[in-house]
Amino acid sequence: MSVPANPKAMAPHRPGRTRTAPPMRPDGFPSAPRYRTYLLFDATGLTYLLAGFAVLAVAWSLGSGPEAWARALETLRSPIAIAFHVLVLVSAIFVGVRFFRLFPKAQPARIGPAKPPPRPVIHAMLYVAWAGITLALVAVLGGFLP
Amino acid sequence: MKTLMLRLEPVIWLLFGAGIMLGTLLLPGYLLTVGIGGPLGAFAADALSYDRLHAMATHPIGGILFRLVLLGLVALPLWKGAHHLRALSVDFDGHHRDGVVGSLLYAIATVGSLLGIYAVFFRL
Repeated sequence: MSVPANPKAMAPHRPGRTRTAPPMRPDGFPSAPRYRTYLLFDATGLTYLLAGFAVLAVAWSLGSGPEAWARALETLRSPIAIAFHVLVLVSAIFVGVRFFRLFPKAQPARIGPAKPPPRPVIHAMLYVAWAGITLALVAVLGGFLP
Repeated sequence: MKTLMLRLEPVIWLLFGAGIMLGTLLLPGYLLTVGIGGPLGAFAADALSYDRLHAMATHPIGGILFRLVLLGLVALPLWKGAHHLRALSVDFDGHHRDGVVGSLLYAIATVGSLLGIYAVFFRL
């Protein structure tokens, strides 16, 4: 059974000419699995936002000289920092898997005379790019490449 | 404020889209090295040394790419995060506080991005 949602949810900013039914919160929101996954996808915004500021702090330390950089490395070694980075990694993998599955479906049927490749090919290309960029960053930052 | 956000929507969506795509492509490599592997001692001792990273950042050719990637790792997740948290707020709370919540989140992302530009291009 549907229940009324917040009456202002999805309401236009100005009243339109067309009358519309009041918005209803769908059945099972937010506990049904598909809503949970969708909300979890949105909630990764928090880990991404915090990750952006964490990288900013690292970049700031690198620009502040060797002593500041040594302090930053010490902070990165703390269990809380490592646990946070594991959480962000899990978030990024979750976002990537879900978004890369959606991406091929969102492509236009044609761009001028050109047709995009079949969806499985686009999907595979995204994973190849993801793996390639990750390996390149690990190789450079991990010291495997000069 | 709501009107301004509607006008800026193409820019916001561009940054959000770049955040979800490029941010997600870049983050695992950074996290596996700087966030997890390096602190746990999985790489050579000097891999994350100041001298090595500073030399990479100030290299005449590779330094530009290094800085752009670093800026992408700062700014793009901020915009993905801000936009998705705004969406989460709308899902639970409707639109009546969206102007304040959205403005605040995008202001945080803007400040973080500007600090990122300063940190990466003027302090390194």
